[in-house]
Amino acid sequence: MSDTPSVGTPPTVAEKVFDFVDERVGLKLLTAKMLNEAVPGGSRWAYVFGSILLFIFAMQAVTGVLLMFYYVPTADHAYASTQYILHDVDYGWYLLSYHFWGSSAMVVCVFAHMSQVFLWGAYKKPRELIWVVGLALFGLVMTFGFTGYLLPWDQRAYWATTVGVEIIDKVPVLGDFLARFLKGGAVPGQMTLSRFFVIHVMVLPAILIGLAGLHLFLFRCAGPAGPFRGTPTELKAKTDYFFPRQIWKDIVGMAVVFACISALAFWEPVVLLDEATPDPGDYHPEPEWYFLFIFQHLRLKMFSGEFGQFLASIALPGALGVMLLLLPFFDRNPERNIFRRPIALIGWVVLTASILLFTVSAIINRSFLD
Amino acid sequence: MQPQLKSKVRCADREVGEVSKVIMDPLSQEVSHLVVSMNGAGERQISMFAVQTVAEDLVQLRSSSSEILGLPPFKRDDFVTLHEVEIPGLERHIHVTPGEVLVPFPELERNVKRRTFFANLTHVVGLFIGLPLVYPVLKFMMKPMYAPFDNKWLKIGNIAKVKAENSGTQYEFKRKVKEAYLPEAEIEKNVWLVKATPAVLEKVYQGKDIEFVDSDGRAIWTNKKDFPYLAFSGKCPHLGCAYKWRKHKVLGEVFLCPCHLSIYDASGQVLDGPAPRPLDLLPIQVSASGEVQIIDMEFKAGTKSQTRIV
Repeated sequence: MSDTPSVGTPPTVAEKVFDFVDERVGLKLLTAKMLNEAVPGGSRWAYVFGSILLFIFAMQAVTGVLLMFYYVPTADHAYASTQYILHDVDYGWYLLSYHFWGSSAMVVCVFAHMSQVFLWGAYKKPRELIWVVGLALFGLVMTFGFTGYLLPWDQRAYWATTVGVEIIDKVPVLGDFLARFLKGGAVPGQMTLSRFFVIHVMVLPAILIGLAGLHLFLFRCAGPAGPFRGTPTELKAKTDYFFPRQIWKDIVGMAVVFACISALAFWEPVVLLDEATPDPGDYHPEPEWYFLFIFQHLRLKMFSGEFGQFLASIALPGALGVMLLLLPFFDRNPERNIFRRPIALIGWVVLTASILLFTVSAIINRSFLD
Repeated sequence: MQPQLKSKVRCADREVGEVSKVIMDPLSQEVSHLVVSMNGAGERQISMFAVQTVAEDLVQLRSSSSEILGLPPFKRDDFVTLHEVEIPGLERHIHVTPGEVLVPFPELERNVKRRTFFANLTHVVGLFIGLPLVYPVLKFMMKPMYAPFDNKWLKIGNIAKVKAENSGTQYEFKRKVKEAYLPEAEIEKNVWLVKATPAVLEKVYQGKDIEFVDSDGRAIWTNKKDFPYLAFSGKCPHLGCAYKWRKHKVLGEVFLCPCHLSIYDASGQVLDGPAPRPLDLLPIQVSASGEVQIIDMEFKAGTKSQTRIV
């Protein structure tokens, strides 16, 4: 691999720098390995979600770090510093609103990404571990949403946390300890804010970066699953590399997501309610939209009482999580075509429909409360 | 040119076999030895210094075939494959694949017998570093988790605000909190007062006075069963939201929590919704001038029995 430049044209400075680095770390080989990943059956728009999630995370990290230049995580300054970002700092409203809507975009794309892997049967052997790590990443995304929600320290933040932590309190045996551990006391206050802040800006990002790296590594070990239709010869004929066709589709997807989040930040910028305090006044507490279905199903009469609450807030979500976790290990049928996996198809439709149903009914319920 | 695997190996007098392995020198990153498969007579390790020329598929040696056969048999255990060791950049220097490319297994490593023991020892030492940290870290994190109860009486307003009987009246009050290192701050809270008729009082007290206790079980205060004013903690016993006094189409005037739609009557009993227990009664006293005082207790939400947490 000697890189003697072609006769007559002396290498430019950029080429020299590139060659210098290449000689030491094998940059060309690395680049080639990164870009020349075979995509069985060819690139598709359907494959953009993984890259988009990485993009959204990168943007959350960038906007999050920027917000920390002004934000102060104390009970007496969190609200004021957030208002300062929104009203006084140039483009603060944009960066904060981008960060806010970015979390919604993250949840939407995670759902799309997971649904796709599920429907395509891409979690099956040899990709079980990618699925398991992916589930952990899903849990992290939701925890990011939950912990970040408290930081502006307004009424919305305070009550979502109050109710959320009460739900954690329902875990058998350890619940009381866990809830107090998270709150740093019996009731939400400065200690809660400190804890949620550290978890949101240090603990979760570190775990997420590690797990996302592992997710990608495992993905590269197993390779993309490709479409579930087509003979090996057909797939081979359509196969191309990650670069350029798939990367092109990915970057277009990222641009669309960026435009959507920015548009939401422009048209629906974050507006804080009153500062957090244990008296909500006229405010009706409600979590962010992606937790509404849990919120709504806790209203059901069938989940009343101590046991009902345990069932609704811990047992059911827990059982769903364990089922998803074990999915690749008990579903050993190599069939990937979703139209030949009726149970999987029905399961997905029922789960998605009930999430939609509960979310919509929570929204409809609002009008009956005033 | 580097010698290729499967190349024929010819000595000064005749052909003796073919290249079966290649040995790299980790420092110079050059091929240092060939391993020749001697047409069924085992393998021999031959230094590159013995090689005269290397052609496309032929390696010409200087020595005679009898000299080569006289060498000791090749010792595979003295070497490791490239896949088993990390030598940066080595892959870029070999062009002899496919086949086994070897590097010498260092002298010092060959005599280490107790690899499992050392591996376990590493874990044990690691544990010795980690274990002593568990308790201090846990205590460090738990510092603010359990605080003694505050049994101070708080003035929340005048009883004249309560107009009708068996109807909820909200008293919003401010209380000072001093959290750890923060300056003293004021938070807003609320309790609900009901002026109860004897029938409603009976539903609450069921003929018995209600005693309130501290964390050690010591009695602090007793609400007398015939005292007409009831004070309810503003926290919904379902999941800790704040409920309101509202008109319900069917049930009339009730306490309604907007979060999960628990409904309670004026005595705090659950009429509908997911709540596991009635509203939490607080210690209350009213002075001769109508000044209302309460002890601002909080109870764990979501449990059937009442557990005080503040």
